[in-house]
Amino acid sequence: MLSEIAFYGALETGLIYGLVAFGIYLSFRVLDFPDLTVDGSFPLGAAVAAVLILEGWNPWVATGFAALAGMAAGAVTAILNVKLNILNLLASILTMIALYSINLRIMGRPNIALLTEETVLTPWYSLGLEFHQVPVLLFLIVVVVALILLWRFMKSETGLAMRATGANARMARAQGIATGGMVILGVALSNGLVGLAGALFAQSQGAADVTMGVGVIVIGLASLIGGEAVLTPTTVVRALIACVIGAIMYRLAIAFALNADALGLQAQDLNLITAVLVTLAIVLPGVRTNLTNRFTRKKA
Amino acid sequence: MISATDLRLTFGKGTPLENPALRGMSLTVNQGEFVTVIGSNGAGKSTFLNALAGEVLVDSGKIIVDNLDVTRLPTHKRSARVARVFQDPLAGTCENLSIEENLALAIKRGQRRGLTTAVKKQYLDQFRASLSSLNLGLENRLGDKMGLLSGGQRQAVSLLMASLTPSAILLLDEHTAALDPKTARFVLELTQNIIKEQKLTALMVTHSMKQALEVGSRTVMLHQGQVVFDIAGKEREGLEVKDLLELFEKQRGLEVDDDSLLLS
Repeated sequence: MLSEIAFYGALETGLIYGLVAFGIYLSFRVLDFPDLTVDGSFPLGAAVAAVLILEGWNPWVATGFAALAGMAAGAVTAILNVKLNILNLLASILTMIALYSINLRIMGRPNIALLTEETVLTPWYSLGLEFHQVPVLLFLIVVVVALILLWRFMKSETGLAMRATGANARMARAQGIATGGMVILGVALSNGLVGLAGALFAQSQGAADVTMGVGVIVIGLASLIGGEAVLTPTTVVRALIACVIGAIMYRLAIAFALNADALGLQAQDLNLITAVLVTLAIVLPGVRTNLTNRFTRKKA
Repeated sequence: MISATDLRLTFGKGTPLENPALRGMSLTVNQGEFVTVIGSNGAGKSTFLNALAGEVLVDSGKIIVDNLDVTRLPTHKRSARVARVFQDPLAGTCENLSIEENLALAIKRGQRRGLTTAVKKQYLDQFRASLSSLNLGLENRLGDKMGLLSGGQRQAVSLLMASLTPSAILLLDEHTAALDPKTARFVLELTQNIIKEQKLTALMVTHSMKQALEVGSRTVMLHQGQVVFDIAGKEREGLEVKDLLELFEKQRGLEVDDDSLLLS
């Protein structure tokens, strides 16, 4: 079974990846823009926050700048696509690969330890909660605030224009929506959320590392698809809640897999488990409908 | 008023597939006119409409809409003046948005969009009133996803969306062609009613000569990217499809070889 600490740890990272899943929902689902920039904007957020915190900045201000840096990265990807007509997937790969160098430049070395620094979590430890519960509480608040803001945005005139852009660009243009601008704004927002997640992850793990972005896109997608399988995203708010549920489910599944001694899995098997879980998340909903179809056909 | 002067546009210039779609197309449509546009496949009907809407930019020529030169403006910058209904019933609306969200998108056509709620309470009565004029019971289904509606219903809503805010011209691109005959008749009647009630200026592309003569106040025939004839008023009254064909042959010394024009 899962120890209490491992359980809270899974919740903590799950909530952070909930923010990543929000970002991926924005790009993949709302804008229909397959964006791999997140593998670069996640460590970018971590790098910016870590460097600014080391410089003695307020950790919240540092986290804010991390989100802005993520937005800038997303905007670059979208501009490559919209203004220079580079295929969206390729544009995002170009930004991602460039960010690897940029992140090394920002940090000046492959990793930065934050264990002794003051982070956004520091003041919360004096509240009297258990040590491993503190990040869960704080990140839960951040995720709920982000969810409400995103939900309100999607219901706004601009948000609706963004949803129309992804669903039917020709119709959106005919209604006077500058679809190119909407793509830039949306992909920027998406990567801003991922940058924010990277900054929080670095602070909760006590370090920023240039390789910490590897596979973020896969984990985010797994969270998104897994969440959608559990909670059908008929409305925007359901889709956003599904993102958080999916991310937490994914983290719990990983924690169970690694903690189940019978399976004999170790930490280095993480990426393999991820790939298997993502495959299951994509395939299982289809299997379920197949089975129901067969069942109903027999009945009829 | 809109005026298009000497529009020229060649697709795939300098390639073996070079295709001159517009070859000096000129047309002026006055306020309140309802023009039907007819022509065989490849005559340039859709290209002309796309050029007016801004989906394609012409190589040369000039397009003026309500005293504004829009020749080089992209679609979204013309949308305040140019409303449009597409041929494909799925193209004019967003299926994964609700009916009220689609209407809320249309009510801000060509205007700035801010961060206030898109579906505002004060819009809902207006939405219900215009939907109930369709007699499809949609006024009670504002929250339903657009994708749940039939093609005819979606085309009817597209028409409402195009006429929700004022425009200098309404472009109808064979908007009944993809519907079954009964639904097509319903949508066409609805079109005529809306255009009459709101005194709209409209340009309707159609594949049917009969429809082109029965509907509207003026008929224009396109051939090889140009206007071959343009009839209105007394001249047009009582005209039949065979007269139209004779006119066409006289003008061009050509046989009309597109069966679909004769049959429909």
